[in-house]
Amino acid sequence: MIMSPETLGIFLQDVVLSGVVAAGFAILFNVPPRLLFACAIGGAVGRVVRDLLMGGGMNIEPATLIGSLMIGIMGEYFAHRYKTLALIFTVSASIPMVPGVFAYRGMLGLIRLSNATGDMGLVYLNEAAINLTKTGIILGTITIGIAMPVLLFRRSKPIV
Amino acid sequence: MTTEDLATIDGVSENPLHPPGSRPPLDREELRDVIDLSLWMGQLLLQYGAHTDRIERTVHRLGTALGADWLDILISPNAIVATTISGDEFRTKIRRVVSIGVNMTILAEAETLLLQVEHGELTRIEVRAELKRISLIRRVYNRWYVIAWVGVACAGLCRLLGGDLAATGATFIASSVAMYVRQELQHHYFNPLINVTATAFVAGVISSIMIRLQITTTPLQLLSASVLMLVPGVPLINSMQDIIRGHLITGFARGFTGMLIAMSIALGLLLAMLLIGVEGL
Repeated sequence: MIMSPETLGIFLQDVVLSGVVAAGFAILFNVPPRLLFACAIGGAVGRVVRDLLMGGGMNIEPATLIGSLMIGIMGEYFAHRYKTLALIFTVSASIPMVPGVFAYRGMLGLIRLSNATGDMGLVYLNEAAINLTKTGIILGTITIGIAMPVLLFRRSKPIV
Repeated sequence: MTTEDLATIDGVSENPLHPPGSRPPLDREELRDVIDLSLWMGQLLLQYGAHTDRIERTVHRLGTALGADWLDILISPNAIVATTISGDEFRTKIRRVVSIGVNMTILAEAETLLLQVEHGELTRIEVRAELKRISLIRRVYNRWYVIAWVGVACAGLCRLLGGDLAATGATFIASSVAMYVRQELQHHYFNPLINVTATAFVAGVISSIMIRLQITTTPLQLLSASVLMLVPGVPLINSMQDIIRGHLITGFARGFTGMLIAMSIALGLLLAMLLIGVEGL
């Protein structure tokens, strides 16, 4: 895939911003300072994978799933390397993929639906249903993508 | 049927770390110490955001590393029950847990402590001192530092969602002020849901005023990004981790907590938009 300079600029901006967002949320969650950089890397990589797949024509849901699988795998790697929990890396790294605008539109659609008159009800119902479904599916794929890699790498007989 | 047979049926003898009878039995006083320390560890993990399978394993590993033969653990969303077993002796204890928030430093320190105990570096007295030190950790970063970074992170999210530069700047202001309010409310022990609603309200009021001033052409991105520091990431991710591993009760409880937080955000934002009068976007 060949990028025009403008696309490349936006792409690089998104990489840096995702890293900054992940680091900011890591600080909010009291991540130890020595692990902040790993959180930023995870956030940037997850988002970049998703952006590239969506640029290649994939829908947002499967692209998010693959991006969060990457975050889950990297979280396992970092957890192994720094001898700590994968959750520390995966939670903040997944924040750049949160579907904020879809959630907001869905909420607004619901509010409008309750005050709708006549045929506008169907329009608002449509808006709310589509956006809330998208929000739910994207959030679901993020959590599934993060939870799956552990099950592949760390298999053991239950000890408890 | 002897205890040996029962142990084999339960699969206890297959535990490679601690085959039964390989270690001296603990007396009741020692067992009390072991269960107290293990539950303390479990309490820290449940309070500060670990998922259920991780808590079960950690409590079990700490208890067996401290000398017990076996631990049986029940984890509910707001309490932990554990039984320590050593030889023919056993003791059971319940510990009530109130979920406080997310503190990854405490989780990381608890994991380090567990590894140290498993390598036999610490006695029970040292473990108690170390647990006390860990549970006294409050804040790793200065509060103003956190406020500034939360502002930057939300502004970055606004840009990632497609907001223009004015919206990005406005998001920085709105979410920083909202984060300050959130810290103040936490400091006064307000109910977490009220706290979330109030924080979203403050962020929403500031964003709505900026929109009324018509500084931005992307009001949607501004409004949605300014409340994103409240997004219930840890409850939702832990919920899925629990459900996938079969801990349905804690998984559903965490998922429901996440949904309640999301609804509180929506409520606060909506009240702010109605107050300032920007509902017609």
